Amino acid sequence: MLKLLRFGLKAVAVGAIILSLSTLALAQDNPRIGLVVKVGGLPWFNAMEQGLQEKGAELGLVGQMIGPTSADPALQVRAIEDLIAQGVEVIGVVPNDAAALEPVLKKAMDQGIKVITHESPDQENAHWDFEMVSAKGFGEAHAELFAKVTGGKGPYALYVGSLTVPLHNLWADYALEYLAANYPDMTLIGDRYGVAESVDDSRQTALDLMAANPDLVGFLTFGSQGPIGAGRAVEERRVADTVQIVGSFSPGQGMKLLKAGAIDGGYMWNPRQAGEVFATLADMLLNDIEIVDGMTIDGLGEVHPDFENGNIIVDQLQPITTSTVDELAAMGL
Amino acid sequence: MGKFVRLGVAEKSLLVVILLQVIVIQSLSNQFLTSNNLMSILNVSSLNIIFAVGLLVVLLAGGIDISFAVACSVVQYVTASLMVSIGGGNWAIAVFSGVAVGVILSWINAGIIMKFRIVSIVVTIATFNIYFGLLMFFTRGTSIYNLPAWWTDRLILWEHQSEKGVWTELTLPVVVMFFAVIATWLLLARTNLGRQIYAFGDSLLAAERVGIDITRTYLIAYGWLGLMVGIGAIVQVHYAQEVVPNALYGRELDVLAAAVLGGARLGGGSGSVLGVVLGVLVITITQSGLNLVGASPYAYRMIVGAVILMAIVGYSRPFSSLLAKGLRKFGSGS
Repeated sequence: MLKLLRFGLKAVAVGAIILSLSTLALAQDNPRIGLVVKVGGLPWFNAMEQGLQEKGAELGLVGQMIGPTSADPALQVRAIEDLIAQGVEVIGVVPNDAAALEPVLKKAMDQGIKVITHESPDQENAHWDFEMVSAKGFGEAHAELFAKVTGGKGPYALYVGSLTVPLHNLWADYALEYLAANYPDMTLIGDRYGVAESVDDSRQTALDLMAANPDLVGFLTFGSQGPIGAGRAVEERRVADTVQIVGSFSPGQGMKLLKAGAIDGGYMWNPRQAGEVFATLADMLLNDIEIVDGMTIDGLGEVHPDFENGNIIVDQLQPITTSTVDELAAMGL
Repeated sequence: MGKFVRLGVAEKSLLVVILLQVIVIQSLSNQFLTSNNLMSILNVSSLNIIFAVGLLVVLLAGGIDISFAVACSVVQYVTASLMVSIGGGNWAIAVFSGVAVGVILSWINAGIIMKFRIVSIVVTIATFNIYFGLLMFFTRGTSIYNLPAWWTDRLILWEHQSEKGVWTELTLPVVVMFFAVIATWLLLARTNLGRQIYAFGDSLLAAERVGIDITRTYLIAYGWLGLMVGIGAIVQVHYAQEVVPNALYGRELDVLAAAVLGGARLGGGSGSVLGVVLGVLVITITQSGLNLVGASPYAYRMIVGAVILMAIVGYSRPFSSLLAKGLRKFGSGS
């Protein structure tokens, strides 16, 4: 038994050396970009990884994605520490909690690592943050669609991914403001619910809220699992005709619910395109290409950056409807 | 019915807490005591209760298992892939495959714990990482959405529409949970095996002296959890209608906390089926109640924590003796 154990240990040690040598070999050739996303295993971030890998290969970058096992800021901090220790040239992050990442991103920048963030405008300690859609445009587009499908009056509930996701909450703020200004007969019940990163939590909360508010007209949700969970709940209660759901979701995951009328539509941007932009911006930063007002960047189009806060915000809204969903799902989204 | 209705301190404390919750929630929202809400609470608790009664058997035998929730995800992947590869399948094959994989994964834990006499928490933390690591490695984190219709179509065993048009349904997960609870109760309270599991967890040495077969008892305890994991895997896919690799990650701690809250002692020998069921229900009712009364979601965690603390303080020894003293004083004073 002991012999076997010794042999096993040897094998592991040899394996580790080979592995580290091979990564070393890669490191010498190409600059590396490590991308830390909110949670691993979600189709959204899988598509983003695909974009990063493909565009990275084209530009001669080695892309690597790290997806923490849960939406916990501490896990992201650790993942970034690991990337710094590995000595990557560029770090990309889609933060769960912008503030929690500030110290570790500062550490990365102090060591000369380029930092790019996404879904986190005004991020401290980053070279650039880029957004595929403006918070105002995205929030208001959803609010308008939601008002249209619900008839513009009655009580409704609002989901966000989690109470500390900055962008979801910003969308929610703009949507609330828009609804309050244009559809004063719509009333928000409770406060916003931070459940939309989990199907189970979204479903349970939707069941409870429908029980507590029999005249609820709909759920407006920001966060990719919200429409799915709420959609299941609405299907279970057989109220797809009276309770409407609007929000952004993965087309492949929500296709059935959308076609069944449980989900009523939403907008998205292409995460694969966002992955590509990570690679493009990384390449520009590494080659000292200056970003200027009015220039055209691959994947973003014409940009008008906010130099003071380091934001590049464009508007590339993609409606998800019964007529577009098949095509989007076929892209693996 | 004997054992099932004889209430311990933990069960009493939890019943009091549930009663208080019901009174508060009902008076604030007027929506709690409706048939569809009560059914919905059972509905959302069903998976955790199935897991909890399985875990209870392992806890009683003096073991613990951190890996069962990710093992459940492994079961889902294996079973879903099998169904897709044989072009559809049916309930019988799915349940058989689910239970087989669940029991095997659970027996791997039991085997390592027994063979090398390692503390069960260490072994299962290791296998937790191995199972989840294997899952992420082989699936690359991708989900399975295209499942056979027989699996994901909702099965409604009883339904009723109120005058206001609200549907109350009895769904498959609740029925499965009911059978899991009854079967576990029968195992623990009505069979020799069950008594042996209690004895085993109470004192390993004494159990060995009186001739209880350690290997067999451990295999049965972990096998029972594996059985519940297999069944739970099929049920979760049925209601979630998709297989997502990290859907159950972290569930192990929720279930463990609920079981311990329900009076299952870490280290074994003490705990009841009713206790762990109440433990799960207290937490579900708290969360659902917060939604019903329209409390701010920013306060949720704080309140859930406070309720858990309240229930635990309720059955702590100092509190009971304090209460007894208080009652005596009150008695002699009047």
